Amino acid sequence: MPRSASSTTRGNKIVKLRHSLISVVCTATLLLMKSAAAHHSTAMFQWGTEKTLIGTIEKYQWTQPHTFIWIVVPDKPGKTQEWGLEGMSPSWLGRRGWNLHSLNPGDKVSVVYYPLKDGRQGGFYVRVMAPDGKTLEALPTQAP
Amino acid sequence: MRRTSSSIANLTWVCAVALIACGAQSSSRKGLSWIASSAAAADAAPSNPYASLAKLPDWNGVWDVTRVPPQPGAPPPAPPKLTPRYEEQWVKYQALNRKQKGLNFVSEVASCIPPGVPQSMTEPYPIEFLFTPGRVTILIETYALTRRIYTDGSPLPKNPDPSYQGTSVGHWEGETLVVETSGILPETSPLNGINGHSDKLHITERIHLINPDTLEISTTRTDSAVFLEPYTTKAYYKRHRDWKIMEYVCEQNNHDALDAKGNAAFSLKHNPGE
Repeated sequence: MPRSASSTTRGNKIVKLRHSLISVVCTATLLLMKSAAAHHSTAMFQWGTEKTLIGTIEKYQWTQPHTFIWIVVPDKPGKTQEWGLEGMSPSWLGRRGWNLHSLNPGDKVSVVYYPLKDGRQGGFYVRVMAPDGKTLEALPTQAP
Repeated sequence: MRRTSSSIANLTWVCAVALIACGAQSSSRKGLSWIASSAAAADAAPSNPYASLAKLPDWNGVWDVTRVPPQPGAPPPAPPKLTPRYEEQWVKYQALNRKQKGLNFVSEVASCIPPGVPQSMTEPYPIEFLFTPGRVTILIETYALTRRIYTDGSPLPKNPDPSYQGTSVGHWEGETLVVETSGILPETSPLNGINGHSDKLHITERIHLINPDTLEISTTRTDSAVFLEPYTTKAYYKRHRDWKIMEYVCEQNNHDALDAKGNAAFSLKHNPGE
């Protein structure tokens, strides 16, 4: 999907525009050299578009290369949906106050995430409001 | 006769004992002189190769690449000048960056194939340096990679077997470590936005402290198949003395492997063993 997005016509236009946009592009490239997601493109997410899920933690995986929140949210009456939200690695989160037990099965939480573009029940988690009212940030704050 | 032979036997014994005694004395003297001479050598010679490390700069702790260089007012670097094939990749990548937020660079790294030098040096998790005589070792947390940089004066081999982290030698210019690397696998990325290069890719890194807790790594890429002229970028690293490098096993729970067409993907299947 992201690859096909740049058609030849668009590519030619970009070549023409390139010189005037060069410094903007370079700055962007530098900023993006260290992306939030360690090892892969974030093209599958609506990166920067915040959505919220309120539900019950089914499982919190403190794993490499990414932590994972599996959360059950209410759906139609009597039914639930399972969502899978990827997050930063245990090493990154562990250096910023998170740990293996930050989230536990049964916790009722509110999770802010960037959704998948294809509409499936998944995304990348940005912050979690835990039952004790504490907010855990899970992504770097905006670069200065 | 019997007396005579008995006297000879006695004499033989006396001589044997005397010879043994002389030998013992002689070897004892030799032993003493050996101890004395090695003590003298220890006083004169550079005894322990680790002593030479005391001259090197203090790079202890763990280094985390910063999101922006520490000089916000500095002009942005010039873009790379690329051969047509790679220019096409670069333009597509920049177009995506303008169109959507986040990282849009798609590579096999998402499927847990590790990055090569130099991309392995700017992953979002930290690195550390170990100094031993004749060698600097860089440990990279992401993908648990190790770079061995020989600083013992050996030359860079002419045709090293290709590998992800390549083959490296280094030398110190004052407090700057200069690292030369070649033999990097051609399917790796030399720069975000560019997949692949020739087997001639050569990387020169100049690593030094620009203030007590900031390390600068200036990285120059040379490969005429990709770059029309050598291309240099700079990355900055912040020191964290209290951090420790952690284990990183990419295959543990990866949901981001590329799809069959090589595009970015995301699996919502629970991995086996969960």
